[in-house]
Amino acid sequence: MSHDHDHHDHDGHEHHPQEKSENELRAEALEALLAAKGLVSAEAIDAVVSYYEHDVGPQNGARVVARAWVDPAYKARLLADGTAAVKEFGFTGFELNTLVAVENSPAVHNVVVCTLCSCYPWPVLGLPPTWYKSAPYRARVVSEPRAVLREFGLELPAEVELRVWDSTAEVRYLVVPERPAGTEGLSEDELMRLVPRDAMIGTAKAIEPESLAA
Amino acid sequence: MGGMAGFGPVVEPGVEAAYHERWEPRVFAMWAITAAEGLGAGSGRQLREKMAADEYLRASYYERWQWSNERRLVAKGTIAEGEVDGWVERLRGGEKLPTHADPSQAARVLGIVRTATEELGPTSSTIFAVGERIRVRRIDSVGHTRCPRYVRGVLGEVVGVRGTYPFPDEGPRRGEVEPVYAVSFLSQDVFGETDEPGWVVYLDLQESYLEAA
Repeated sequence: MSHDHDHHDHDGHEHHPQEKSENELRAEALEALLAAKGLVSAEAIDAVVSYYEHDVGPQNGARVVARAWVDPAYKARLLADGTAAVKEFGFTGFELNTLVAVENSPAVHNVVVCTLCSCYPWPVLGLPPTWYKSAPYRARVVSEPRAVLREFGLELPAEVELRVWDSTAEVRYLVVPERPAGTEGLSEDELMRLVPRDAMIGTAKAIEPESLAA
Repeated sequence: MGGMAGFGPVVEPGVEAAYHERWEPRVFAMWAITAAEGLGAGSGRQLREKMAADEYLRASYYERWQWSNERRLVAKGTIAEGEVDGWVERLRGGEKLPTHADPSQAARVLGIVRTATEELGPTSSTIFAVGERIRVRRIDSVGHTRCPRYVRGVLGEVVGVRGTYPFPDEGPRRGEVEPVYAVSFLSQDVFGETDEPGWVVYLDLQESYLEAA
């Protein structure tokens, strides 16, 4: 697999077949074949790419978490039935499946992995980062989770109960991180900015508001 | 891959993005379109697991998707074996990509991608109860399974019932709907004593993977 290959622009610029990687050529060959068969349009491919780049992503999950922080009734619904609770925001679709929300507290920290492949709740978190799909993460976070979290810069006290959720079945997980102290006056939109993707996977905590301002 | 050693650190430069090259999201989008339009047959995930082990570990994530989607399309009869190779050579020779116009396809596909959520089914009866101690069967699976090796033979506790799902493993019982349990495992029972304080691993496991402890 070559990752040193330059990006190519598919949006109407000249193509240089001799510079393409084998992977890129093979992907294009399937596009060509299905277009020639009258089955798949390039516009549909562009639309799906754009949907996953712009319309779904961790901002959806951050909205869910921020609502749970400010609305105890919503948090109760989220923890009881994650699928239904995120559907209230219209978050549905491929790979949401049955969604379970797990809550962090001073005593409990949750982290999510899929050791068999790379299962991930796309409608609330977007497509997974490369590390989530990588062999080291999939292999190690179940067998030495504190060492892995330390590599993310997260040091958990020994007394914190660490729960590792291996989502190998059709259940997907969303971690609800702890709301940082000193955020009582913030609006839901402001709180969303404190919820990075990794906090909803469990390899980070929510952002402290003072570090955001700095 | 749970518990396998020797892969090195998780956090390295460039691992934050979902992908690095433009062809990668296009492979993903092609999979979504062919799935939404019913052009493929079989599970991409189960097919990817049939890659030769050395090839699987060598291939990048979206290479595996391209590989499995081609096989889904062949299995359905949408494309024939060798047709993609044929187009690789034609493109290498400088032939232009053919175009296909279908103005409604994007909206049709996105309508499905946005809304198709596959929840587990409702549960009526279960063999195991919440709070019960169980042991994961020592399954020697040759094909697809959702039962990771690292918990086989390990004692755990049922902590919830998630719903029902067709038994996914290859074999005669494949497709039989049965309960899926949330099961907790103490790290000592799975990995023995390590230099980390104990932790708990949770998995969602089909009823057939479990036996009374």
